[in-house]
Amino acid sequence: MVVMNRLINPGAGFARAGLAGMVFLAMLLMSSMAMAVKYDVVPPSGTHTGEDVPQPIEFPHDIHVKDNDINCMYCHTYARRSKVAGIPPTSKCMGCHKVIATDKPRIQQLTKYWEDKESPPWKKVHDLPDFVHFTHEKHLKTLAFDRDFPVEDVKEICAFCHGDVENMTVANKVKPLNMGFCVNCHIANKDLGAPGDCWKCHK
Amino acid sequence: MSLDNILNHWSDYRKGAEEGGHHDYEHRWAMAINLDLCIGCNACSTACYAENNLAVVGKERFEKGQAMHWMRIERYWDQQELEHPEQGASFLPMMCQQCGAATCEPVCPVAATYHTPDGLNAQVYNRCIGSRYCSNNCPFRVRYFNFYSYYESSWPEPMEQQLNPDISVRDKGVMEKCTFCMQRIRSVKDKAFMEDRPVQDGEMVPACAQSCPTSAIVFGDTMDESSMVSKLWKKHQVERGVYQKTKLAKKDADLRGYRIFEELNVDPSVMYLERVREDI
Ligand code: SF4
Ligand code: SF4
Repeated sequence: MVVMNRLINPGAGFARAGLAGMVFLAMLLMSSMAMAVKYDVVPPSGTHTGEDVPQPIEFPHDIHVKDNDINCMYCHTYARRSKVAGIPPTSKCMGCHKVIATDKPRIQQLTKYWEDKESPPWKKVHDLPDFVHFTHEKHLKTLAFDRDFPVEDVKEICAFCHGDVENMTVANKVKPLNMGFCVNCHIANKDLGAPGDCWKCHK
Repeated sequence: MSLDNILNHWSDYRKGAEEGGHHDYEHRWAMAINLDLCIGCNACSTACYAENNLAVVGKERFEKGQAMHWMRIERYWDQQELEHPEQGASFLPMMCQQCGAATCEPVCPVAATYHTPDGLNAQVYNRCIGSRYCSNNCPFRVRYFNFYSYYESSWPEPMEQQLNPDISVRDKGVMEKCTFCMQRIRSVKDKAFMEDRPVQDGEMVPACAQSCPTSAIVFGDTMDESSMVSKLWKKHQVERGVYQKTKLAKKDADLRGYRIFEELNVDPSVMYLERVREDI
C-alpha cells in the first residue's frame, strides 16, 4: 500500500522524509488509504531522470496547477479528444494574461510573442518513438471518464506518466516511458481492458 | 497477444482453423477480390506504396529479387490460342492473404510475426531480427525484405514530407508485408471505442480498396454476418476452415469464389472471384 502510494505521488520519495519523518509517514499512510478507495487502477512504476529541457519562457506549472488549481485539460485541451495532449496556443495563454499578472517579466515575454504574432518555440518534453502508437484520449476515457473519476482530480491520472507536474516549473521527464513501463501497467490493469497485443501500440 | 501469452499457450496458438482457431477473435478482417472487375491498372499497388511508406527500390534491385511491393499485380496469359494472346491477359492482385493458420508465424525465432485478435498476421518491425524464415515459409511469396536502408535514397527531400506518420519507416534488415492497412483499422477501432459503439461495415477501407477504380476489392469483417464481405463469401460458398471444398454447383456461373492454396490448410482471408470468360 505504501509502495503504491509512493508511485501515485512520485514526489513523496522516502529520501525526502528526513526530520519530519514520522509526520510524513503518517500522512503517507493516511493518503494511501484514501487512494485505495479511489483507485482500482494499478499505476505504472518506474522513475527516470530526464534532462532539463530549456523552454523559451520558463513556464511555471506549479503556479497554474497548485496555486490556482487549473485543470490540466484546461490548457492541454486535446488530451481528451485526440492522440496528443497538445501545447495550448498562445491565444489560450492570452485569454487570461491580457489582464492577469501583466507586470511580470515572463508574462511580458509572452505578450511580446503575442504582439509579434509568433508562437513561443516550446520544446517537446515527453516524446515517444515514431514506432509507437499512443493515444491520450483512450487512456483518459478508460481511466477517468468511464469510471466516473472526478474530473477535477485528473492530474492524479496524468501523473501516472508525467509525474508530479504540479510541483515543477517547466515540465521534466520523470517517468521512463519505455516498453516495460507501459507493459507492466497494461498487465496489471488487464481487468480495465488494457490490451496486451503488440500491434495495439507498435506500428 | 503478448509474448508471455505466446510462450504459455503455444499449442493452442498453433491450432488450425478447423479446430476453431487459436483465438477468441474480435474481428476477422477479410477481402473479396473480383477478378472480373480487375483491369490491372496498378492503382491499388500505388496507393499501397503511398499509404504504407514503401520504398521504391529501383529497377536494378528489383531484378535482383529485392523488390518491395506489398500489393503486386500478377499477370497471366491464359488464352494462348488467341491470335494476340496478350488480349487475353488476366490480372490477379496478390498481397498477404492474412492466413488463419499462417505458415510464416511458427517459424519466426523471436515471435515478431504473430496472430492478432483481429485475425491478422502481424509483423512487429522492432522485434524482427531479419532471419527471413517467414518469407521462405510463405507459400504466396508476399513478404519483402529491406536489404538496404532506404530512408535517404527513397525519399529525397522534400519527399519525406509525404510519409504516413501512422506507420513507421522500416529500416534495413526488417521484413515487411501487407498488414491489411492496420493503421487504418486501428484508427477506425479507436474512433468506435471513443464513441462506445462497434465498428460498422464499410467504415474500414484499406488504401488498395479505396483507390480501385472498378471497386474490385471489398473489405470487411467476416464475423459481422451482415457485412458485404460476409455476404459475398457466403454467396460463393467460401468458408473459413473449410478446405478443398467440393462445390457441387460448380457449373453454376455465379459460384466463382476460391481461395488460393486452400489445400495447404493455411486458411487465407482473401477470396478471389474467378474471371468470367466469353467463349470465342
Ligand atoms: S500470406 Fe504468407 S505472409 Fe501472409 S499470413 Fe500467409 S504465410 Fe504469412
Ligand atoms: S490492405 Fe493495405 S497494406 Fe494490404 S495491399 Fe491493400 S493497401 Fe497494401
